[in-house]
Amino acid sequence: MGLFDVFAISGSGTNLNRIWLDCVSDNIANINTVKSTSETAFQARYVVAQSADGFAAGDPKGVNVTGIALGNPEGRVVYEPDNPLADTDGYVRRPDIDLGDQMTQLIQAQRGYQANLAVVERATQAYQTALQIGRNA
Amino acid sequence: MSITGIGIVPPVGPLGPAGGVGAATRVASPQGSGFATSLAGAVDNLSAVQSKADGLAVQAATGTLTNAHDYLIAASEASLTTQMTVAVRNKAIEAFNEIMRMPL
Repeated sequence: MGLFDVFAISGSGTNLNRIWLDCVSDNIANINTVKSTSETAFQARYVVAQSADGFAAGDPKGVNVTGIALGNPEGRVVYEPDNPLADTDGYVRRPDIDLGDQMTQLIQAQRGYQANLAVVERATQAYQTALQIGRNA
Repeated sequence: MSITGIGIVPPVGPLGPAGGVGAATRVASPQGSGFATSLAGAVDNLSAVQSKADGLAVQAATGTLTNAHDYLIAASEASLTTQMTVAVRNKAIEAFNEIMRMPL
């Protein structure tokens, strides 16, 4: 463990939440992406997080983003005969993404980002208080 | 009442050869655990932290920075490390001056 490990750990948490924000924004941006039934639908993006434990048990190392998981490729098959992408029966494929769920995740990611940066700020204040020890002695 | 005798004063050992400039650099303990070694390590660490923050500052200026928080966190860490190293150095100098003021 180093002296200022909290910065690396909180930085990894902040990074995770930034990637989560990217995923949510991608999901919301593509919520109306329509595909023909012969193709796979736009797949929702999910962040895969894993704790980066050190070899020593309980040694805090922060969090790692191990990848981006993809959602349901089937999507929702919707009857839209007017859509130019519709098949002969009038069906198209829309992504299986719920906007309400994405907005909830957006708030979670935003708050998570803020929480990690709040840790950085508090740790800075705490260390600065430690540096005041004996300053006026 | 018996008075205990004064013990024999141990003989003063022979003075070693006067160290030149070359010898002065070896004042830090040979085991590498002296204060000078610690301070040198702290300064090396400070240099590494500052160069990391500098690299991120260049990335921020050139627009290649992917994480804005990375730079701010690194800058904050560099500032704290500098403050700490300077505080330790000031305390060491204070202690040294205290020793120098000791009446002989």
